[in-house]
Amino acid sequence: MSGPLYLASRYLRHHWGKTAILVGSITLIVFLPAGLRVLVGQSADALTARADATPLLVGARGSALELALASLYFEGEPPEPTTWAQVDRLGATGLARAIPLHLGFRAREHPIVGTTLAYLDFRGLRVAAGRRMAVLGECLLGAAAARDLGLGPGDSLVSSPETVFDLAGVYPLKMQVVGVLAPAHTPDDRAVFVDMKTAWILQGLGHGHQDLTAPGASRAVLAREGDRVTANASLVQYNEITPENAGSFHFHGDLSGYPISAVVAVPPDEKSRALLRGRFEAPDETQQVLRPRQVIDELLATVFAVQSYVVAAIATVAAGTLATAGLVFLLSARLRRREIDTMVKIGAARSFVAGVLAAEVIVVLLLGAALAAGLTGLASRFGADAIRTFLVS
Amino acid sequence: MRRALLAAALLAFGCGAADEPAAPAADAGDGRLLVYTVNEPLAYFARRIGGDAVDVRFPAPPDVDPALWSPPPETVAAYQEADVILRNGAGYAAWIARATLPADALVDTSAGFADRLLPVEGAVTHQHGPAGEHSHAGTAFTTWLDPTLAVQQARAVAEAIAAQQPERASELAANLAALEADLLELDARLAKAALVLAGRPLLFSHPVYQYLQHRYGLNARSLHWEPDETPDTKAWRELEAVLAEHPARLLLWEAEPLPEARTRLEKLGLRSVVFDPGSRRPATGDWLSVMQANVERLESALLRER
Amino acid sequence: MASAHLELRDVRFRYRDGDFALRIPELRVEAGERVAVIGPSGSGKTTLLHLVAGIALPEQGRVHTSGIEVSALDDAARRDFRVRQVGLVFQEFELLEYLGVLDNVLLPYRLNPVLRLDDEVRARAVRLAERVGLGQKLGRRVTRLSHGERQRVAVARALVTEPEVLLADEPTGNLDPANKGLVLDLLFEVAGEHDATLLVVTHDHDLLERFARVIDIGKLIGDAA
Repeated sequence: MSGPLYLASRYLRHHWGKTAILVGSITLIVFLPAGLRVLVGQSADALTARADATPLLVGARGSALELALASLYFEGEPPEPTTWAQVDRLGATGLARAIPLHLGFRAREHPIVGTTLAYLDFRGLRVAAGRRMAVLGECLLGAAAARDLGLGPGDSLVSSPETVFDLAGVYPLKMQVVGVLAPAHTPDDRAVFVDMKTAWILQGLGHGHQDLTAPGASRAVLAREGDRVTANASLVQYNEITPENAGSFHFHGDLSGYPISAVVAVPPDEKSRALLRGRFEAPDETQQVLRPRQVIDELLATVFAVQSYVVAAIATVAAGTLATAGLVFLLSARLRRREIDTMVKIGAARSFVAGVLAAEVIVVLLLGAALAAGLTGLASRFGADAIRTFLVS
Repeated sequence: MRRALLAAALLAFGCGAADEPAAPAADAGDGRLLVYTVNEPLAYFARRIGGDAVDVRFPAPPDVDPALWSPPPETVAAYQEADVILRNGAGYAAWIARATLPADALVDTSAGFADRLLPVEGAVTHQHGPAGEHSHAGTAFTTWLDPTLAVQQARAVAEAIAAQQPERASELAANLAALEADLLELDARLAKAALVLAGRPLLFSHPVYQYLQHRYGLNARSLHWEPDETPDTKAWRELEAVLAEHPARLLLWEAEPLPEARTRLEKLGLRSVVFDPGSRRPATGDWLSVMQANVERLESALLRER
Repeated sequence: MASAHLELRDVRFRYRDGDFALRIPELRVEAGERVAVIGPSGSGKTTLLHLVAGIALPEQGRVHTSGIEVSALDDAARRDFRVRQVGLVFQEFELLEYLGVLDNVLLPYRLNPVLRLDDEVRARAVRLAERVGLGQKLGRRVTRLSHGERQRVAVARALVTEPEVLLADEPTGNLDPANKGLVLDLLFEVAGEHDATLLVVTHDHDLLERFARVIDIGKLIGDAA
């Protein structure tokens, strides 16, 4: 090791407390803007990738942002509900595959996403363990959901009773975990997937109860009038779907009126996409169709604008910090005047002494920068999900 | 590897073995079109039309009525792997409404004649909760017992297969034509039998023959008798009451009745004729042979009556 | 060229602020001589050492040290000469508190690249440290040593380059009586071992009898005046 570097490193090690504070300050002022940029950039990439992978969204007229955020990332308030009729309507156009989404329910912080098998195929979600949901009451966990909840095939999961819907008669439903998806590194990892019909049961729209014509149910029967049976409140409604009672679950009325949150429309080509958008342009249209990329780009424009203000603020703080650090070095050089004199008397060149002091500054700067780079690396590896969650919620 | 060998073995022994119920992992895996059905008539149609290039599976165990069957989740998962899932429609196989199946693969073979579906009598309406009164009213579902409806279902099957194998269009059309000819021959024989019957009263052991009755204008009423149970005194009394106003000489059974029931019915002047709707996989022969046997039994019963 | 080991002739020196001026008509010290320099405060004792070491340059006159005309060398050459040929001991020790005992002894080798630090030098430094009684404390921080120990480290540092001239500026000024004797003994002994010329500035008249010659700087100037 060369003389100046040797003496500088020994000095810094001896005054490790001071060195740590200086290095820490440098680390922070480098990491804050760098980390922010990397994380926001990555999150933006992830958001954009998801938006790009979702050609069109159809939902009830209302906030486009809400519709996009809820449908793409399962975050925020669910959008105004639309109905299953839109799935049929889209299917009937022959212009796109229609994939329904039912959002708003949660199981311990994890979004319950009601959909069809087409969604899994569309997103390329592969089952890593178990199988896909097959019958009512079964659920399929995203990789992160399975990890967080500590659940796997054969376990059960109860939906959270508090929901974003202000609905009476919504009870928690015990669901069977039948499969876990392979990690996709998208919001799908956090989701709990159920069949659309299971989601409706969660919402209290489909139900299962005792067979009213069975002998055991007589207690629940208020009136029997020919083929007509009226039941009272003692009628046993199930809060778990089992092979024994699965057959009793049923839906009333016309399914096309049943609520869904959004429809992902997957047109086979650009022309179909354009035609499809045209179909939703009538002045009395109750639905909106949007290109998620457009919505997310608008959101990101705002985020980037805010980011540039934040970075400017950090730059001001950084300038102050650097000035302070400079002052620290200057004062310490003064305090070390005698040490410097001694070195010169013994036979060191003034330039050598300057080299020692410069080496101290450079080592501190390099250490700070290296630490900041390491932190930025760590952040980019682990922090993107957190930031994305923060950005969209 | 083992599964590949198994698939090869199944292939070698013909597709009849391929619809073993114990095959939850369904993927045909051999490039053939994988077709699942909810009953035997549709499975038979798919085999006749699709031939060897189609792997047809109907996984219900033979001792269960497929109309009431609810497959275990593992079997539903096997259905999910199908390229085509043939439904009978008309409320048949209610489990489909509770299952998660790929919408793209589902084909309702009776969708083309929704206006010709018949209601089933005696459905229960019930009321509870704020949703108001609702009915689980049913639709008669043994549609294929009217061969002209069966022809329409066969056409829907052919269309579904052709959509997946457009290159085989002409072969599929030829197979369909042959099947239609067989079905229409059945229709002609049944029409003739109906002519012979000439509106004379008839009894059914169960209300499952609605489409047969409707197609041929049969003057029939339904009992609720199980072929494998000995009717009790009450049942006999009710039968006598029915016979008093509906003096039938023939009783159509879904399956062979117990010998004592048959003998006692003979004493009442009622001849038992087995007319199997053919919704389950037959132990021998195929669905067409089951139907032909039905017709033959009916014809010979009518001959003997003369 | 004069045969004396140290020789100053017609030297005039003035600090830049012009306050203090020193005139030395002549001073000769023979090789291996042990000389004490005395005089009142501000009389120029330290300046004399600086002139001999080439730290300070005279306005006028010549300074020969170890047969080299130091006053004629440029800055870099005087530095290189000094680090090789002159050992310095200071009143306040002037050790680097962030280095241990051995690293302080080796300091000259860190400060100027004309010296090469090799295993032989290291071995010599260890021997010197042992010689001054700190062989058990080679890695110890100098802040944890007593004053006497610190000055012994300084003596070892002054000798590590095996200089021909050893200059000490009040080396005992910060020491208790017991350590004064010890350090001075050490200076004499190691200077003797290395045949170094020893020039010691001191206020301590008790110690003068141990020097072969005592130069009163006041008289030196007075002679000239």
